[in-house]
Amino acid sequence: MLNDFWLSLEYLPLAEHIGGTWWFPLLESLHVVSITLVMGAILMLDLRLMGVAARSNPITDMVRDLVPWAIAAFVIAVITGLGLFVTRASAHMTNPAFQWKLVLIALAGLNMAVFHFRIYRKVWQWDMASTIPIQARIAGAGSLFLWTGVMLSGRWVGHII
Amino acid sequence: MNDMLAVFAQWIATSEARELANWLLSNTPGLPPILQTIHLLSIAAVMGSIVFINLRVLGLAARRQQVGEMIGRLMPWTWFALPTLFISGLPFILARPARYFTNPVFQIKFSLLLPAILLAVLFYRLSLRETNYWTSSEHRLITGKIIAAGSLFLWLSIVMAGRWIAYSDYLFWPG
Repeated sequence: MLNDFWLSLEYLPLAEHIGGTWWFPLLESLHVVSITLVMGAILMLDLRLMGVAARSNPITDMVRDLVPWAIAAFVIAVITGLGLFVTRASAHMTNPAFQWKLVLIALAGLNMAVFHFRIYRKVWQWDMASTIPIQARIAGAGSLFLWTGVMLSGRWVGHII
Repeated sequence: MNDMLAVFAQWIATSEARELANWLLSNTPGLPPILQTIHLLSIAAVMGSIVFINLRVLGLAARRQQVGEMIGRLMPWTWFALPTLFISGLPFILARPARYFTNPVFQIKFSLLLPAILLAVLFYRLSLRETNYWTSSEHRLITGKIIAAGSLFLWLSIVMAGRWIAYSDYLFWPG
């Protein structure tokens, strides 16, 4: 029954239009620009949190500079991604790579929530400190690992269909 | 020019490098998506370095960071990403040279890459000589903004062109 729903999405006029015209490559190329922007912003932040790069820049400055860009680019990635998804919704939902991608995005979001609402609360204690708390470093490394996984599984989707 | 590229593509097509690339791509489980992910991560490094610097110079991003400091800190990521992009893209070109060399979108992508790299080198070299080069006078500030706008346009076009290689028929119907 749920499958009927995914299938019905594919027959939406918009979905058929995207799938049959240059809209598909346009959305796909905008998807690539937005996911690499998300990853670029997150990469800089994660490496800072891990204490690998930009060690003399305050963490709070990096967060304020980069997070809005990561969020804005992520929103564009979701919108363009949905446009691509509806053209083959039922096939994507049964595609293991796509399922992995959704799980990894959820885990990356969870990691981000834990960081933001727990670890980052006490950032004033270690904003410029030479040693960053282990929880923050783990959150940074975890984020890098999970988002790389999102990218790999996303790219893998196209090789299964 | 196209004839020359076609000859070059033909030369690769009959070479052992092609056989090797083909064999690796079809016999190593997951190699194509893994290489493409390395390519994407390297593009992310380009986004996080040169693209972000361009946005900073244009006053659109990272206003809490200094331009000169950002250039010195981030440009090495661009220099590291470029060879990684080349290496992760190369097997696909070697495996199917005709699909790329005579593809108009591929030709556009590489034509844009040359000025993009030149602008990045120029930007970096002058800042290396004098950390605050791009912010030290009104004239340089404006020149910097013009270069940043051009560079931003080039890099985003290159990234988008990469994806459009597979769809060049939409733009250039083979007649």
